[in-house]
Formats: sequence, C-alpha cells, structure tokens
Amino acid sequence: MRDTDRMINDLVRDLRPVPRHALRDRFLLGLLPALAVSLLLMLAILGLRSDMREALMLPVFWIKSAYNALIALVALWATYHLARPDGAEGGFFKMGAAIVLAMAIAAAVQLVTSPPEAYGQLILGSSALHCPFLIFAFALPVFAGISWVLRKGAPANLRLTGFIAGIAAGAAGAWVYSWFCTENGMPFVLIWYSVGILVVGALGALTGPRLLRW
Amino acid sequence: MTIAHSEDVLKALMLLSLDGDEAAYRRLLTTLRVLLVGYYTRRMGAATKADMEDLVQETLLSLHSRRTTYDRDRPFTAWFFSIARYKLIDHHRGRGGRRLAETELGEELESGFSEEALTARLDVERLLDGLTPRQQELIRQVKLEGQSISDTADRVGQSESAVKVSIHRTLKALGERMRGGS
Repeated sequence: MRDTDRMINDLVRDLRPVPRHALRDRFLLGLLPALAVSLLLMLAILGLRSDMREALMLPVFWIKSAYNALIALVALWATYHLARPDGAEGGFFKMGAAIVLAMAIAAAVQLVTSPPEAYGQLILGSSALHCPFLIFAFALPVFAGISWVLRKGAPANLRLTGFIAGIAAGAAGAWVYSWFCTENGMPFVLIWYSVGILVVGALGALTGPRLLRW
Repeated sequence: MTIAHSEDVLKALMLLSLDGDEAAYRRLLTTLRVLLVGYYTRRMGAATKADMEDLVQETLLSLHSRRTTYDRDRPFTAWFFSIARYKLIDHHRGRGGRRLAETELGEELESGFSEEALTARLDVERLLDGLTPRQQELIRQVKLEGQSISDTADRVGQSESAVKVSIHRTLKALGERMRGGS
C-alpha cells in the first residue's frame, strides 16, 4: 500500500503536459521518415520504371497506385484507432474488402476486353515470382516505423493491431514498389501485390503479441 | 469511497492532468486507485493481496506512460477501464492462465462491463455518498456485491432482521431521493 502511495507521488512529480494531438504527431513522426527511406531505397536500388513517361498517361498505372494507397490509408486509419486501448478497427475489413472488390472488377473488365493470348501477361506478367518479395522488402522500413509508433501506444488487441499495421506497411511498400514495377495487368496487381501485402500483414499478426506488448 | 466518481468528474480531472495540473492528477490517481481495487477484487477470485497491489500499480503506471493515447473527445472511464482490462488479461497470460483469462473475460463481456454499466455504477456510488457509512456498507454488500443477508449480518454483527429492516429503509429513502432529485 505504501508502495502505491510512493508511486503516485513519483507519477505526479513526473507529470508533463501532453499536447492535444500527441498521438497523431507520433504517427507522422514515425511514418513519414520511414516512407521516405523506403522511397529512397527504391530509387537508389531499382529506379523508376523505365517507361515512366508513358506510364503516367495510363489509367492502369494510376489504378495500381490507388489500390495500394487506398489500402494503406484505410489500414493506417484503423491502426491509429487501435493504438488506443478503447479503440476498434472500425470498418476496416469492410472497406478493405470493398477496395479489393473494386480491383477485382477492374481486373475482370481488363480480362474480358483483352484477347486470351494476353492473359499470361496480364496475370503472371514477367515478375510474378519476385514481386511479393520486393514489396515485402520495401515494406520493412514502414513496418519498423509503425512498430516504433505502436510500442508507445496502448493497443488492447495485439494480434489484430499487428495484422492491420502490417497491412498498412505492406500496402505502403507496395505503393513504393509500384513506381518501379512495369506490370500493367490488373489481375497481376490483384493477385501478386495482394500476396505481398498479406505476407507483411501475417508478419504483423505473428510478431504483434510480443512486439506490441505493454 | 466518499468522492463522487462520475465520468464527468474523472474526465475533468484527466483533462486538467493532461495540461499539467499536479493537484488534479494526484486526485485522479488516488480516486482511480480505489476504483481499481474494487474492479480487480471483483475479477480475481484467488488473487493474493500482493498480486492485486501489483496490478493496481501497473495500471496506474500505464495510465501515466500511455496517456497520449487518451482522446479528449471520448469518455475517460471507457479508456481507463480498457487499460485495466488489458492489464488483467496480461496478468493471467503471464501466469500461463490464458484460457482462464479468456473464459473470465468472455463472461465479463456477456455480462457487459460496458460504459453504460460503469456509468450506472458510478451513479449508484454517487447516490450512496449521501448515506451513513453503515448504510453504505449494507447496501454495497447485499445489493451490489450480492452477498447473502445472513453472511452480511454475521460480518457486521447485527441480527438478520435488523439488516433486512435497515436495507429496506435505506432503499426507501434512496427511492424518495431519486424521485425528488429527478
């Protein structure tokens, strides 16, 4: 009992004002530099896609970019809420499913409007085997950044928070990678990008209970 | 337990604490400490006193180190008892009693340790503040903790009928006060 009295004294003495948006600021502080590192690594190691000029005119390039960016934003928003002990994932799974569904429709439209000879290129492209690994690699800086943020947070559901934070990092890594990747197949993105993102999500779910414990 | 522990009061103290008000923070921590003892006592059957004190300390410490995660626009008690609940699960998990913790929590969720339930409880506490300590004790033991009349009578050293009469009168008085108050 006396211990607790002493501890309360210590805590009161240690009290410092907390800025209103302290948690949001920590997210920005952990994520923006991490994303910058990831982008710089991509530019330094791989470089922008060789046909960048033409690609900027292609809807498929922007759909690919939007797919990853949207998943990253939705997952990040959920992670921000889950970082609070009384927070919930909100509509994360519904919104994520809606984004994937929209991508599936884009993929179906592209397949239907293409000759069957093009299917191989649209589905497997020329980089299906290493695409998920590169996404994983470019997601790692962001994963480290988001973990740094969450370790000062107070998530109540460690596995779920780890999973969704991993999805956010994976999608951010995929978005970075999409500036290099020359694939224009929507089915390719739907399958191989999603695999890369999910692998980072799995990493988060596996490490969450230990890494995020407080 | 003679302070009114309403959500409003606790939240006001928390907001002051976040701005660096030491006196408010001390009041907040001392009040929450009492609430935590009640919270953990109700949930840890075979716990030793030392375990309980550890948990109370850990929870207060977490409130301190994680206070940036409190959203000023949301209820304080919901946030705070989420920390308490997390610490309780973590405590059971640490002793390999994971399954036990999950069962207990499952039941707890069923019975709804929700924000409303807590607010209702806080309202009850505030209502009890107006009673004499003896009346408070009886109501607390029999009506809130659900202990039997005979056990309570033994503990307070009164006859069963005296306890019954006393509770009956107290409830009647409370009823009148509520009608008058609202």
